[in-house]
Amino acid sequence: MKLLNAALIFILVPTLTPALALEPLSVGLAIGVASALTGYLSHPRFYCSYVECCPRDGQRLNATALKAQLDSRLFGQHLAKDVVLKAVLGFSNNPSPKKPLMLSLHGWAGTGKNFLSQILAEHVHPAGLRSKFVHLFLATLHFPHHDQVKLYKEQLQNWIRGNVSACPSSVFIFDEMDKMHPGVIDAIKPFLDYYEEVDGVSYRKAIFIFLSNAGGDLINKAALDFWTSGKRREDIQLKDLEPLLSVGVFNNKNSGLWHSSIIDRNLIDYFVPFLPLEHRHVKMCVRAEMAARGYTVDEDIVQAVADEMTYFPKEQKIYSDKGCKTVQAKLDIHEDLVMGDTRARG
Amino acid sequence: MKLRRGALRAALALLLLLPPAGAVEPISLGLAIAGAAASALTGFISYPRLYCYFRECCLHRHDQRAAAALQETLDKRLFGQHLVSKVVVKAVRGFLNNTNAKKPLALSLHGWTGTGKNFVSKIVAESIYKKGLQSKYVHQFVSTLHFPHAHSINLYKDQLQSWIRGNVSICPRSLFIFDEMDKMHAGLIDSIKPFLDYYELLDGVSYRQAIFIFLSNAGAEKITEVALDFWRKGRTREDIQLTDIQNALSVSVFNNKNSGFWHSTLIDKNLIDYFIPFLPLEYKHVKMCVRVEVESRGYAVDEDILTRIADEMTYFPREERIYSDKGCKTVDAKLDYYYDF
Repeated sequence: MKLLNAALIFILVPTLTPALALEPLSVGLAIGVASALTGYLSHPRFYCSYVECCPRDGQRLNATALKAQLDSRLFGQHLAKDVVLKAVLGFSNNPSPKKPLMLSLHGWAGTGKNFLSQILAEHVHPAGLRSKFVHLFLATLHFPHHDQVKLYKEQLQNWIRGNVSACPSSVFIFDEMDKMHPGVIDAIKPFLDYYEEVDGVSYRKAIFIFLSNAGGDLINKAALDFWTSGKRREDIQLKDLEPLLSVGVFNNKNSGLWHSSIIDRNLIDYFVPFLPLEHRHVKMCVRAEMAARGYTVDEDIVQAVADEMTYFPKEQKIYSDKGCKTVQAKLDIHEDLVMGDTRARG
Repeated sequence: MKLRRGALRAALALLLLLPPAGAVEPISLGLAIAGAAASALTGFISYPRLYCYFRECCLHRHDQRAAAALQETLDKRLFGQHLVSKVVVKAVRGFLNNTNAKKPLALSLHGWTGTGKNFVSKIVAESIYKKGLQSKYVHQFVSTLHFPHAHSINLYKDQLQSWIRGNVSICPRSLFIFDEMDKMHAGLIDSIKPFLDYYELLDGVSYRQAIFIFLSNAGAEKITEVALDFWRKGRTREDIQLTDIQNALSVSVFNNKNSGFWHSTLIDKNLIDYFIPFLPLEYKHVKMCVRVEVESRGYAVDEDILTRIADEMTYFPREERIYSDKGCKTVDAKLDYYYDF
């Protein structure tokens, strides 16, 4: 179809300008102006306002914005916020990192691992998960069959190589690591190591994030121990958890990192633990959801929804089973009360 | 887009014909103008608001009346399920109104046979989509029919994932109904778990506006237990609250080897938004079913025959004989026997 249109135009032009000679000056001027205009429009500063560009080396992360976002949107994870902020800022401010940044996020379901990786991706590439430089892999979706591991390995290597050569600061997020075949992750080990270049492509500015539920029970146990010994949640330090995690994940057969050379070689930069969420954090989630939907925040409803969630362990009932998941659904059930309230208050 | 292209072609054609002619050839010019007019007309008709009157379109803004229609139909035609009508309407209304849904709606309908699970899914489909179950955006899977052989499970997984991915990318507001979940292979449902999760985009497709309904008989015994309990204590059926059943259900369904959800990550990850229980039907509900069937066929309602038909159904448990074994099923057949015209 485009060819047809082009052909039509080519037929038209000679019929519209039946000139037997071309005027050199005006044609030359026209061509010159056209080239200059194209060159100007292709200039990154102009071009990048319309089309997404790979961030150049000079661009630094906005630290205050990231901190503000984490504080306002992620509840109850003082450890994760701390570690991730320092890790990402340090990495982005380093003009020549020695190896790609590798974060391993572990924790119970619904505590905010995907959420945090989403916020991170948004700060590195403004379009977040929709950016063409941010890649999300799910073990159950992208690598489902265990007998095709060889194929997955090859495809994964090609994919990573291709995308990092297109944009050195790509972000790769691997979800459901506990369901991934151990061999698949070994395939990308060479990219994560301290090499300057591998086959002409430098991976040193890329970011790899691994999300998993493995080690979640260990973290819960540690958090519970802290609680029973009367210490505050905010007193939990990374050093209390990191050794537990690293070994627990390494020896857990269900973890995608089981006996993987990634831990062997200490290629993971940071193990980031996610603590289970308490009742007050669930209330914060409910409030945030109500505010996002434009309802007026009614403490009674917040209390009602938070109370409806199930908590563990069975006797003390401190931590939410599902974290902040299903809060939206429960809010829909109470919606009549909410809507009535909002209307009453005008 | 089509409008622009058609107009562009028409303009080019006209330009081609006009300049060099000292006179205008009427026939070809007439044809050219007719062609241009035809393009313009096509472009006009393809415009969504007109087009959608003749063919079915994917809903981008949901029909405000969907929830109201749903409530009305459930009140009129579903008998004996006070829990269902309350929860389903709120769930569907809340989901459709929420422009910023974080995950697709996943409803799990559990209950005794003949209590109305398929019926409710049909009503939901009809209130959201004009053509109901016949709509091309509503997909129904019956596990014994579509996924019969246990050894082809890998093939089914791949096919199911591709089917869901393809259809949701065409129309984000798609409805998927999975029937006979208790007969589905445990691993198969795991393959669609990624679509039910809290992801913004998966391979460029957003599943956040889709609706998944799972129908199953699993947990029916537990529900009946709770209902019987209430009856024996002398409390009314309408006193049964969702919370009484919900927690008992989710555990029993999870541990039941026959449930398609057994040890499935769907419950682990709490991807099911609502567990909706269907209570077994009592004698009076069976009579209501018969009455509605008689009226819909246009016969005169004869209370005597209603009673006789309701009496013919079998009831359980053996001593109390309260709940109908088959719910409202086989009522139509008995009707044919008694009304011989």
